[in-house]
Amino acid sequence: MISLSRVKGIFFRHFFANIRGVHGLSDLFYWPFVDILLWGLTAIWMETQNSVASLPLILMTGLIFWQVIWRGAIDFSVGLLQEFWTRNLSNLFSTPLKISEWCLGIISLSILKLIITIVFGGIVVYLLYALNVFTIGAYFLPFTALLILFGWTVGFLASALIIYWGHQVESLAWMIPFIFAPFSAVFYPVNVLPQWAQTIAWCLPTTYIFEGMRKILGQEVFPMNFFVSSLVLNLIYFSLSFLLFMKMFKKSLNKGLSRLE
Amino acid sequence: MESILSVRALTKKYVGRRTHLAVDQISFELKKGEILGLLGPNGSGKTTTIQMLLGTLSPTSGSIFYFGKEFVKHRSEVLNKISYASAYTSLPWSLSIKENLITFGYLYGFNPKESEKLYSPLLEKFGMLHFKNAPVSSLSAGQITRLMLVKAFFIEPKLVLLDEPTASLDPDVSKEICDFILEERKKRDLSILFTSHKMEESSLLCDRIIFLKQGKIIANDKPKHLAKSIKTYRIILLIVDGMKRIQSLIKEEVLSHKIDHRVVEVQLDEEKIPKFLHDLSRLNIVYTNIKILEPNLEDYFLLMSKK
Repeated sequence: MISLSRVKGIFFRHFFANIRGVHGLSDLFYWPFVDILLWGLTAIWMETQNSVASLPLILMTGLIFWQVIWRGAIDFSVGLLQEFWTRNLSNLFSTPLKISEWCLGIISLSILKLIITIVFGGIVVYLLYALNVFTIGAYFLPFTALLILFGWTVGFLASALIIYWGHQVESLAWMIPFIFAPFSAVFYPVNVLPQWAQTIAWCLPTTYIFEGMRKILGQEVFPMNFFVSSLVLNLIYFSLSFLLFMKMFKKSLNKGLSRLE
Repeated sequence: MESILSVRALTKKYVGRRTHLAVDQISFELKKGEILGLLGPNGSGKTTTIQMLLGTLSPTSGSIFYFGKEFVKHRSEVLNKISYASAYTSLPWSLSIKENLITFGYLYGFNPKESEKLYSPLLEKFGMLHFKNAPVSSLSAGQITRLMLVKAFFIEPKLVLLDEPTASLDPDVSKEICDFILEERKKRDLSILFTSHKMEESSLLCDRIIFLKQGKIIANDKPKHLAKSIKTYRIILLIVDGMKRIQSLIKEEVLSHKIDHRVVEVQLDEEKIPKFLHDLSRLNIVYTNIKILEPNLEDYFLLMSKK
């Protein structure tokens, strides 16, 4: 016999968790919004591009490049969260380990995982769709370097918030990187975006890379100023987010790291 | 004796919605080879103190010196000689015992071979060497505690900070861990700072005890001296005849007491014991069993916590 009271118990256990904190609300509002925005804009652009032969290659290369940003961002913030979840944060930071050394350790692993992800992704795309995402040739390496740098920037930004506010904002580890996808014009050109969104897009170093990628795949010349703009913006944002992370880590020490475990 | 740790006017004030002074101007020293216990009721500031000593919590004011060097200026250098184990932390579950210890070995500058040479005898001692490749997730609470101790001791520290290392463990495992701590201290002339809620264990382990209450040090002495500072003894009697008479005596003398059927427990100052025994005889109170219990650290703890 099903007990309505026990069903209610389970309903409210999850209801309370959903209405409190970032996690539940992001499931209800954030993810549907970002998905609708990203795939809606992609669909609108694709509708007008039936004649573009390289469309699948543009989408697949965009997807692989997006993985680079995602990889960099997630490696940082989830790396930090894993120390929370396993109650290992105090253990680590009661050793001679410095926060800068922790960051470098994560960056080293991130590079290794990135290489594996790109090689694996490239092979899968080739085997399943007979498309070569390395068609962009010599640009692949600098593009990847700039994108992973932005990934780490986003990772530092999310980690800065997580190290200070703790578990209640842990969903930001996944939410923050994704908000940059619609504005970075990963799957469609910037001009598909409304004017206000284009302004934001050109402030992101990633937009120059994705626009450049489409130009190369469309047999156009890659504008070198795109590369320079991306590099300069990347360096500025990376420095700022790293400084923010260091500041928030220091502020977090005022409250104590053990509260995060 | 050489000072390993010197704490001066250490203070932690949490500012926010609930402003709270967790540690209030505490100062103490820890000598080489000494085991110092930090005791006190919940919320007295023990764990806050340990966290500040480890650098995982910033003090509001005050200073910490390790080996004569200021902690805030020589953090990494100092922490290279210090280790920590707590019942309230854990290790990455998916990593094996060996992988975790190799990771921590790296953090203290040991390569995997050096680490293995150092941790293997300790794992062997705890009967864990044969399953060193097992993930932490498969270990029992007692095994995790032992692993945390191996992590703390294998890096050859000069000072070990232990935050309730035996909390929630069975008495036999606690005993094993206490024996291990004493043995390691003897072997390496280690200094140990130790917090616990277990008074018997603290009496056994600690050379000296600092009693904290509401963030302040209210006592700093040897366990025996702290216990003896309480003058109250407990006298337990099994009364055969004279229940009414002993009840009247207790009432007359206004004695603190407990009565359970025919078992009477009276609390008395040491100098009043002869008179009490004499009164029992004078009133023809017949008893078969008598226990006179000296005050211990637990009595001290209970008294100080209530005050």
